[in-house]
Amino acid sequence: MSSDWKIAFKDKLLAILGPQGVIYKDDELIAYECDALTGHRVKPVFVALPETAEQVSSVVRECYEQNVPYVPRGAGTGLSGGALPTEEGIVISLSRMNKILDIDIPNERVVVEPGVVNVSVTDAVSSSGYYYAPDPSSQIVCTIGGNVAENSGGVHCLKYGVTSNHVLGLEVVLPDGEIIQIGGKTAERPGYDLAGLVVGSEGLLGIVTKVTLRIVRKPETVKTLFATFDRIEDAGASVSGITARGVIPAGMEIMDNLCIRSVEEAIGCGYPVDAGAILLVELDGPEAEVTAQMPIVQSVLKDHNANEIKIARDSNERDLFWKGRKSAFPAMGRISSDYYVQDGVIPRSKLAEVLGKVGELSKKYGLRVANVFHAGDGNLHPLVLYDGNVEDEYHKALELAGDILTVCVDSGGSITGEHGVGHDKKRFLSLMFDESDLDTMNLLRCSFDVKGLCNPGKVFPTPRTCVEPGMKPYKEHPLQKKGLGEMY
Amino acid sequence: MAESKSIKEFISILGAANVTTDSSGVTDYSIDGLVPKAVLFPENEEQISEILKVASRESVSVMPVGSGTKRSLGNIPPSLDVLLSTQKLDRVLEHEARDLVATTQSGVTLEGFQNKLGENNQFLSVNPMHQAHGATIGGIIASNASGPLRLRYGTLRELLIGLRVVRADGTVFKGGSKVVKNVAGYDLPKLYVGSLGTLGIITEATLRLYPVPERSETYLVSFTTLEKCAETVMELLKSELVMNSLELLNPLLFNEVTGRIGIELKRKKHALAIRVMNVDKAVSEQMALVKKVCNKARGQGVTVEGESENKLWDEIVNCPWNKSSENLVKLKAGVLITDVARVFSELEELSSQRALILYASSKAGNGIVDITLKGDTADLASTINTLREYCESGKGSLVIEAATPELKSEVDVWGDIGSGLALMKRIKSNFDPAGILNPGRFI
Repeated sequence: MSSDWKIAFKDKLLAILGPQGVIYKDDELIAYECDALTGHRVKPVFVALPETAEQVSSVVRECYEQNVPYVPRGAGTGLSGGALPTEEGIVISLSRMNKILDIDIPNERVVVEPGVVNVSVTDAVSSSGYYYAPDPSSQIVCTIGGNVAENSGGVHCLKYGVTSNHVLGLEVVLPDGEIIQIGGKTAERPGYDLAGLVVGSEGLLGIVTKVTLRIVRKPETVKTLFATFDRIEDAGASVSGITARGVIPAGMEIMDNLCIRSVEEAIGCGYPVDAGAILLVELDGPEAEVTAQMPIVQSVLKDHNANEIKIARDSNERDLFWKGRKSAFPAMGRISSDYYVQDGVIPRSKLAEVLGKVGELSKKYGLRVANVFHAGDGNLHPLVLYDGNVEDEYHKALELAGDILTVCVDSGGSITGEHGVGHDKKRFLSLMFDESDLDTMNLLRCSFDVKGLCNPGKVFPTPRTCVEPGMKPYKEHPLQKKGLGEMY
Repeated sequence: MAESKSIKEFISILGAANVTTDSSGVTDYSIDGLVPKAVLFPENEEQISEILKVASRESVSVMPVGSGTKRSLGNIPPSLDVLLSTQKLDRVLEHEARDLVATTQSGVTLEGFQNKLGENNQFLSVNPMHQAHGATIGGIIASNASGPLRLRYGTLRELLIGLRVVRADGTVFKGGSKVVKNVAGYDLPKLYVGSLGTLGIITEATLRLYPVPERSETYLVSFTTLEKCAETVMELLKSELVMNSLELLNPLLFNEVTGRIGIELKRKKHALAIRVMNVDKAVSEQMALVKKVCNKARGQGVTVEGESENKLWDEIVNCPWNKSSENLVKLKAGVLITDVARVFSELEELSSQRALILYASSKAGNGIVDITLKGDTADLASTINTLREYCESGKGSLVIEAATPELKSEVDVWGDIGSGLALMKRIKSNFDPAGILNPGRFI
């Protein structure tokens, strides 16, 4: 493509968004080169900053007509490169659409624009005794639009579910520019569950411009404890031991010794630095339920060789326990110059076994792996530590991280629990899904985005085209299959 | 005739024993008065794939069913070639109790599934209609059936984490996974919840489970007026109680249900059934709070537990359909929680004006109103149209779940599907280009 289109396209954007709504200077575009996966960078041609759904629609329509690819972006905290710009494409940032539109306590709903920060939803309803349940660790910066795209989780998913369980309605700008309303404030509507599809679609099916969220009543009681173990395998086995006794805690988190030490050094939250592992358990609900379940949890922990069990005395101490957990990623900077976060999922019952295998991999590659994870739902976040200044360590780290995903999938799990596939993990998607699975996903993408302009090049291992209904499905030429030729 | 040639092919795929073509056999499976030419009972996924390949090639319409308990859901089919029942896909494949997850073939009945899970003191947290009549896992997924437990546990959308499906062209694919947290690729299981067999035939499902709570108790309580009921609902919802079910019953349903299970309450007006399932002590403490809230509004109630409690909920869900379904109409409204009482009184007024028999209950904490009506077709049609307008004006919806063909030909079954309809149609045509799966009934 020649660069002539850029001049005309910039004028179009300026006409739609005004001079304050378009970023086109090189030094200002740098901020949009990547999200929190900083290893990959592409400078977008322009960044559009719409303030209304109509503006989003006009920009998207323009892209559709000119065949310009675009990438939607929230706060840029994503860890899988989902908001990585496309070469010769633009970024549509939703950060200016940040208003809470409606707070409806009796109906347990809040309607927001996509740029609203996650924690602001809870802040807005907290005084009425409600909160918004999905709480990713980045909740003080990440936006609801990004949460919707990634189907974000957090530390309380085991009991309360992930973003898709809390989204009832969406306004979406489809890739041809049409604005549609999906679902709404009511619990059910006739038709396919389009909201369920769009949530977690990683920005490939359209741009969300309004979100109707379900809020939940704060529990009567919350009790948090941590237990220390010599061996992380014992901590892991405790987790399925607890659910096997019929207790579903609000959250269960494990950190290994490397994590504990770096977190303790960074913020001093009272974790014992010589423990092999810490298991954090939070119970919530009616007082009598929590009171009855606490001894069950404690006895399971003791059965699995827990050393110290410490119950938070008050909400301040509880916040401190959690602060340690939520600081685990940034605290890694204390013990390693660089780290790579993995996001595999395994069945709870395989925790001990998989942790052992991760340890072996760490030895094999000669790189340290710090383990911190949402143990309740089997969502591992191994942090592969490396030094970017040492030749090849980065690639070794990536290879090790990839091997961890193979272990996860082999155990019956998934390559990603909440960070998304994005740019980073697309080559691993075929560990889980075969050709017909991916072909089915492509049918869906083609129903939304025939031209493939909306966040292209993400999620799927190889680009797929769409066929118009009635046409024969695209089949690879035998020469292509053998890798001897490419289609132009 | 294309169908008879195809039926021969179906017989060669399935064997004659798995294809019903005799007239009394196929009449049992009629839909809206139309009789299928054959009913197919494949025994495995490969056979379903082979059948759908033939059907796509020959443009034979296929209506997927489980046990066929919800055949009345949907528009009158423009034509009816064959029914395909998943009944013989009847094995529970895997129950990993430590993971609170089980994988089952789609033709397993909910009842059979629950029995199996019960061996490990776990359960699938739904209690929809027709459980006693053999409702299957595949059927409740495809029709998004849940029941009063949804207040605590949500619907199938929250519980279905993975599935296998045969697409209309015979392609077999899987979606989701066997772990509760997974965001790899599109969330295909969500697409299939409530898709009514229009996008493929579900052959396997992986479901999230819950432990059976230590104790369950229900407070059945009647109030002097609907308003008192509604006030109590809002009071309960904003409290810290963790209720499993909160059902509002109209007087006729309340009296019928209590009569059947032999519960005697002096007052026979609007009532609430409030269920709490938890550890023993938490049930006692929460029930005390429930009663306190109800007493404030002068409720008159009785505590039900054990076998009568199970019967009570079975009746609330199935009454009056479990006695006779003849000429009954079933509607489901989805409205705001704060609109439930208004919809109830509008409904009662409309029914009494037209002398319709009305049974109504509401999952009051979810804004779902289940309505059964009986009466003259023209009166029913006008009632539905007025009520739908009322629901839709409050951003809600009203769907006909069962009705006579006469009524269906007068009133739209689904109502306004909204601005996503064109997109839904694109999905349908991409997934089923030959238009063979349940054509004309839904999307």
